[in-house]
Amino acid sequence: MQAANLSINGVLGHSFLVIGLVASIFGALSLAYGTRVGDRRLLRSAPNYAWLSGATAVAAFATMIHALVTRDFSLAYVQQVGSRSTPALYNVTAAWSALEGSILLWLTVLAGYTTVIMRKYRKRLDDPLIAWALVVMFVVTAFFFLLSFGPADAFRSGAPGVTDGPGPNPLLQNHVLVLFHPPILYLGYVGFTVPFAFAIAALITGRVGEGWLLVTRRWALFAWGFLTVGIILGGWWSYEVLGWSGVWAWDPVENASFLPWLTGTAYLHSVLVQERRGMLRVWNLSLLIATFALTILGTFLTRSGVIKSVHAFSNSTIGPFLLAFFGVVVVVSLSLIAWRGDRLRSPGAIDSPISREGAFLANNVLFTVFAFVVLLGTVFPLIVEALQDRQIAVGPPFFDELSMPIGIALLFLMAVAPVLPWRKASGELLRERLFVPAWCGVLALLASILVGANGLAPLLAFGLAGFAAGAAGRQVALATRRQGWRGFVGRANGGMIVHLGVILVAVALTASNSYTHVGEFTMQQAQPVTFSGHTFELQQVTAFTTPRSKGLQAEISIDGGQAYSPAITRYTTMGTDIGTPSVRTGFANDIFLTLEKAANAGATEVQVKIFIKPLIVWLWIGGALMAIGTVLAGFPGRRRNPLLPTSADVVGLPVVGLPVVGLPVVGTPVPVEEQSASV
Amino acid sequence: MTDKWKQLKQWPGWVVLGVVAVALLAFGSIRESGPRTSEERVEEISKQLACPICDGESVFESRNTASVAIRIQIKADVSAGAMGDDDIISKVAQVYGARVLLVPQATGIDALVWALPVAALVCAVAGLIVVFRRWKRAADTVPTADDRALVETAIREGLDES
Amino acid sequence: MSDTGRQTEPSRRRLAPLIVLAVAVVLGAFFVVLARSSGAGNDAVSSFLIDKPAPTAVGITLDGQRFDLSRRKGSWVVLNFFDPDCVPCVQEHPELVELDRQQTSVADGAELYTIINRGSDEAVAQWFADNGGDWPVVSDPSGSISVAFGVAQVPETWIIDPNGIVRARFAGPITADFVATQLQLLREATG
Repeated sequence: MQAANLSINGVLGHSFLVIGLVASIFGALSLAYGTRVGDRRLLRSAPNYAWLSGATAVAAFATMIHALVTRDFSLAYVQQVGSRSTPALYNVTAAWSALEGSILLWLTVLAGYTTVIMRKYRKRLDDPLIAWALVVMFVVTAFFFLLSFGPADAFRSGAPGVTDGPGPNPLLQNHVLVLFHPPILYLGYVGFTVPFAFAIAALITGRVGEGWLLVTRRWALFAWGFLTVGIILGGWWSYEVLGWSGVWAWDPVENASFLPWLTGTAYLHSVLVQERRGMLRVWNLSLLIATFALTILGTFLTRSGVIKSVHAFSNSTIGPFLLAFFGVVVVVSLSLIAWRGDRLRSPGAIDSPISREGAFLANNVLFTVFAFVVLLGTVFPLIVEALQDRQIAVGPPFFDELSMPIGIALLFLMAVAPVLPWRKASGELLRERLFVPAWCGVLALLASILVGANGLAPLLAFGLAGFAAGAAGRQVALATRRQGWRGFVGRANGGMIVHLGVILVAVALTASNSYTHVGEFTMQQAQPVTFSGHTFELQQVTAFTTPRSKGLQAEISIDGGQAYSPAITRYTTMGTDIGTPSVRTGFANDIFLTLEKAANAGATEVQVKIFIKPLIVWLWIGGALMAIGTVLAGFPGRRRNPLLPTSADVVGLPVVGLPVVGLPVVGTPVPVEEQSASV
Repeated sequence: MTDKWKQLKQWPGWVVLGVVAVALLAFGSIRESGPRTSEERVEEISKQLACPICDGESVFESRNTASVAIRIQIKADVSAGAMGDDDIISKVAQVYGARVLLVPQATGIDALVWALPVAALVCAVAGLIVVFRRWKRAADTVPTADDRALVETAIREGLDES
Repeated sequence: MSDTGRQTEPSRRRLAPLIVLAVAVVLGAFFVVLARSSGAGNDAVSSFLIDKPAPTAVGITLDGQRFDLSRRKGSWVVLNFFDPDCVPCVQEHPELVELDRQQTSVADGAELYTIINRGSDEAVAQWFADNGGDWPVVSDPSGSISVAFGVAQVPETWIIDPNGIVRARFAGPITADFVATQLQLLREATG
């Protein structure tokens, strides 16, 4: 805070970023060149660059946290999101509450992934597949170092003489979830860089057999798990904070996280076909590339100001960079696929659509169409604007209407697919295996009718959910009977647990979207209100004032029991009212209270909106089950002996030790770790 | 018992299941849900309108002055009872412009947003059919003796090495 | 990897580049759309009401008078939509005071009205007493006037001509000189 306004944090941060940028570039160059000319010394130097870029990224992030916690208002970013009156916790979360900081978080996670991958494979850099994958990781890391240093400079010094700031957006400082949601989401989002890097490496080296899959499938699962948890936490935050009682609004930012989830989910299924049958190679590569490209595209759409969204950050110059990077990713990937087209051709054939493979293909069609719908709806206003210079909006009703039939079709697949055998299924076999699950579906249907559900689409969803749960339960029961506790781990078994979680989420979303009751009441003290079988009584109204806001809180008891306190706060600097809902959670339904109009202090009368939302809590339970299932799926299950022939050509025969470069290897050898488990 | 159970799991059980499921679905979908409260009608209408200034939120979610005013207007129109949902929506859209309509129109270029997903699904299904046809043809080709020998040696080598 | 199976299907060899090309074309068009989008154009200053008769606007002023826009025909009317809790509105206020002074000092000057639909009447009256401005303030608690005009974000300023036709809409803060100039231009245009 000298006259020159030179900040020690700014100087430190910038230096870390420059060192990291240079290290990443050197890492990429030494690996690429070392692999081309076969220079082992150059290859062995690469881990140092990974350590350096990882360490500098973490150091830069720590510097930012330090600047925020010590309230170093010489930095423009701290001026933007910091404030002396913000509690310490939200000073930390302020680090990712605006554009520059969130790019810095992205960079830190990405550099962390690069370092971990390097550490894991540092002994196998002779393998061109590994080397090229790390080149890609380094290039992406370098790009984000560049972003963080250039257009999204978090360490820019701000105007001199500033001693306080507005703090983060008020919505980002009233729930502890803002501490967890963004980092977890980013672990998922950024994690898809790893399988993408291996996919590109497989294309570059021409090793498009199944070896790269074995290396990446667990990374893909890891990223997918975090993305899932991140999305669910986002819904939870929206429910607890935003005060319109919803969890998902099809907002562009939400869609941007949902798109890679959709393509990633499609990949996790179709990769099984490739592992088992050696087929769908181009398709799987494309899904991974699409997933990564969609993370970049989503960031461009929501962070460049092209699309407006409540969650989006303000305009900045980052747009052209991200768009150009997206273009590079797409052009490079497409050219590589076109170039390697001859080697990508998969041998073998899928014999029957009524088979496990056939079901996975149908699943992929549905997920891809789903992703297309979401992407189209998100960018359609831009297309209309470009063609006709006219403003339109595409909102939740559109997405709801189209995702309903897709969701129902997916539930049906989820019911049938797990019991399907590979290759071919007979009608007799299906009738035999699906009999009990189908009756589970009928029972679910009956139960939902008995509790008063109506409407074709929700009933269909409940029935199919029961069916799917029956099928998943059947698989788990069979697996545990055969293998004991091991029946819960491994991809197939863990996958069934994930399915059960998805079913809970689907049921909770259907129920809460279809059967929410809303009532609005003017409440006075000692005058109870009855709604939907519950009694609400206003106990007390209190006004509160802070330097930046004034608000009102009402205490309302439900059924004569505990009091719940919805509040409404007007942030005077922004002139917006922000409601803080209060929720009574229950297994059957949630009671969600919001204060509607800020009355004057000392008022005895308040305007209250009451939402009765069924089954919401099962959404979070389902999300937790999905997370548990993902962890279980990540553990190695019982392996098939890879030497048993399948109908695909025999690739992936284990070759002990390092592969000899230059030898015409058919497919990529199974990595060493995988062998020990399988042989 | 097991034999009977096995038989039941073939056609008879499934026919019963189908009848029961269809009956339940039919009963459930024609059942009345009871009258909508006016709040629920206001909610349905306001969910289809974008807040005119707040970047992606609907009138239902948003809390700024314009949205609050529009909500009050919708509430007044709903309780007056003379207008249908669509009339109320188009009344608001007339003043604020088409960009507050969250449901894209089905006319002109806007209809593409409805048509393209259907086209994509049709293309994907057609593609699948073509691929399965091709696979069926490929599966019909019988492996030659050379192919079999190649596979066998490969497997044997693999077993030897491990 | 035996190639025998493939030679029977030479057509597949040409399929992959074709698909890649098709995908590339679609993505290329998409890229152009994205690159051209400005993200601007959200500041709507046009309105379908321009050059159309003003909508019904009826309310009660803070001093208890009945306000009906249709009865103001014969003189130019400036409507200002306002909220005392909105920072730009507060910043704009001295300009409105100046505008009112200019217009009342000339014969045939425009009449200025403020429309509010937030905050209690007493608080707003107190605010005007503190910050100046003695033109009529119309209370619109149900927001019907602002919805009728399609007011998106306060402050907004509208000009209505002596025939009751809406002539201009300005979103965001205005200055006295700007509105005076616009009024002058409109007067000349309509004769």
